[in-house]
Amino acid sequence: MTTMPASPFVQVGVLTGRSLLGLRDPRMIVMNLLQPMIMLTLFSQVFRTMADAPGFPPGVEYLDYLMPAILVTTGAQAAVWAGGGLANDLKNGVLARFRTLPVTMVAVVAARSLFDLTRSALQLLTLLVAAMLLFGFHPPGGVLGSLGALVLALVVGTGLGAVFMALAAWVKNGELLQTIGMATMFPLMFASSAFVPVGNLPGWLRAVAVVNPLTYAVDAARGFALGAAAWPALAAALGVSSVLLVAGLGLAARGVRRP
Amino acid sequence: MIHAEDVVKSFGTHTALDGVTLRVPRGTVLGLLGHNGAGKTTLINVLTTVLPPDGGTASVAGFDVVAEGAQVRSSIGLTGQYTLVDEDLTGRQNLVMIARLLGLSSRDARRHAAELLESFGLVDAADRKAGKFSGGMKRRLDLAVSLVGRPHVVFLDEPTTGLDPTSRIALWETVERLTREEGTTVLLTTQYMEEADRLADAITVLSHGRVVASGTAGELKAGLGRRTVTITPSDPALASEVLSRNGFEVGRELDAVHVPVSATREVAVVVRLLTDADVDLAALTVTEPSLDDVYLALAAQPRGVLQ
Ligand SMILES: Nc1ncnc2c1ncn2[C@@H]1O[C@H](COP(=O)(O)OP(=O)(O)O)[C@@H](O)[C@H]1O
Ligand SMILES: [Mg+2]
Repeated sequence: MTTMPASPFVQVGVLTGRSLLGLRDPRMIVMNLLQPMIMLTLFSQVFRTMADAPGFPPGVEYLDYLMPAILVTTGAQAAVWAGGGLANDLKNGVLARFRTLPVTMVAVVAARSLFDLTRSALQLLTLLVAAMLLFGFHPPGGVLGSLGALVLALVVGTGLGAVFMALAAWVKNGELLQTIGMATMFPLMFASSAFVPVGNLPGWLRAVAVVNPLTYAVDAARGFALGAAAWPALAAALGVSSVLLVAGLGLAARGVRRP
Repeated sequence: MIHAEDVVKSFGTHTALDGVTLRVPRGTVLGLLGHNGAGKTTLINVLTTVLPPDGGTASVAGFDVVAEGAQVRSSIGLTGQYTLVDEDLTGRQNLVMIARLLGLSSRDARRHAAELLESFGLVDAADRKAGKFSGGMKRRLDLAVSLVGRPHVVFLDEPTTGLDPTSRIALWETVERLTREEGTTVLLTTQYMEEADRLADAITVLSHGRVVASGTAGELKAGLGRRTVTITPSDPALASEVLSRNGFEVGRELDAVHVPVSATREVAVVVRLLTDADVDLAALTVTEPSLDDVYLALAAQPRGVLQ
């Protein structure tokens, strides 16, 4: 070869660019935005009486309470998409070619992760703007607090996304992955502080919610939005997400190397 | 340039490579001939560092495929049995992406891609998605992609299987140009004797994960497969009789007579016998043995006759 292989950073850049070319598809954009909008509409209507329930923090609007959770759970669901995206990539012949090229597999999965981070950021930003303009979401934490919640949602989603990528790289089966994703994400979402205060959950659900990392992520995001930072929850959410990210990417890279 | 020594690879209880040894000198083309399931793709996977061997050693461009995988990957190009391009990207985007991954600057990558599109006759289709390419175009793009960065060693896994005759010949010409102009070392697998014959300097026959013969195309055919002389004589009955009387196996089919011969000079014998018997020949063709003939002959002989 007449050239030295590109540095891992350039490789990540090139590979992220490759995925972003696929994002230009308008159908993808609509798909990405529709689901959280539906969630937001339904939840804000169905649960609007929640704020009067006992155990609910006094003086807090349900929308202000709900929106950070919608951000976090949407970010977490995007994690399943990240796994599905990698499973799809594994079916694409070009990935088999990467195995024969001086391309590091860490760059392949990191690029996938960056791509999903970009997609998720656009999705959450649209959701946030829509909530503000259409539903009158103006939490005490202000725009800055809302953005804090959004960034945290992205961090959590990226960490979880790495786990689903690792899963995808080893099971190599998109359908199975979606099933596993649904079967874990929905219980995790509902057995958490996302939609009702943990104290209002029935006993066994409460037990799950207390150890569920999503509870900490939601509590921390909610802390930002409500203008009362929840530092311990934030530390827990960031800690768990970083561990998941590093371990997930490492395992995913090893899995992708195996044909 | 490529060196495999006693390479073993199993999938569960099935042994796909059962001690394969071969050598491809720099700048030459080795044709690896074998039926479906012979182990051709598995050997390529081992040599391109995709699969680790269970036993034996192999090196490519001087680097060990296990210990120096990264260096091997920097020296090779692969056109796989199934196309290894991104079907969601255009032909040009595929080439630019690979060039960028191999360390070319954005500008050099674009230029290199444009050159390859030009020399592979893909300029008109360059900006269409690869998924929309015809089979022949896809193979050409795949070959072009595998040549990005001018690898010293190129692996071609059944590059023309499933192609129509025109695309097949176009691809052969491309491979010939590559080896002639770039001096690239090539390992090519195929199920077609004709393809190996045309492109390869040497041929290795693989069967059930073992090398059953190797040599030049001429050696293989002369030693193993029998050619068939097909004639259209003025008097088929007389021709058959004369030839059988002189010890030839003879097959009749309408006006044609088939005579298997084991050496080139026997063609001359056939002609002389018929001339002496005053039989005129309206047509005479000599058909090369097929891969099947070679296999059948190999099955009847002890291992490694030609090695
Ligand atoms: N991943 C695999 N798992 C199990 N068996 C395999 C695998 N790959 C190849 N084989 C088996 O190994 C043998 C050789 O296959 P292959 O190398 O693909 O042959 P060829 O390329 O010559 O057609 C076949 O019997 C095939 O079924
Ligand atoms: Mg094969």
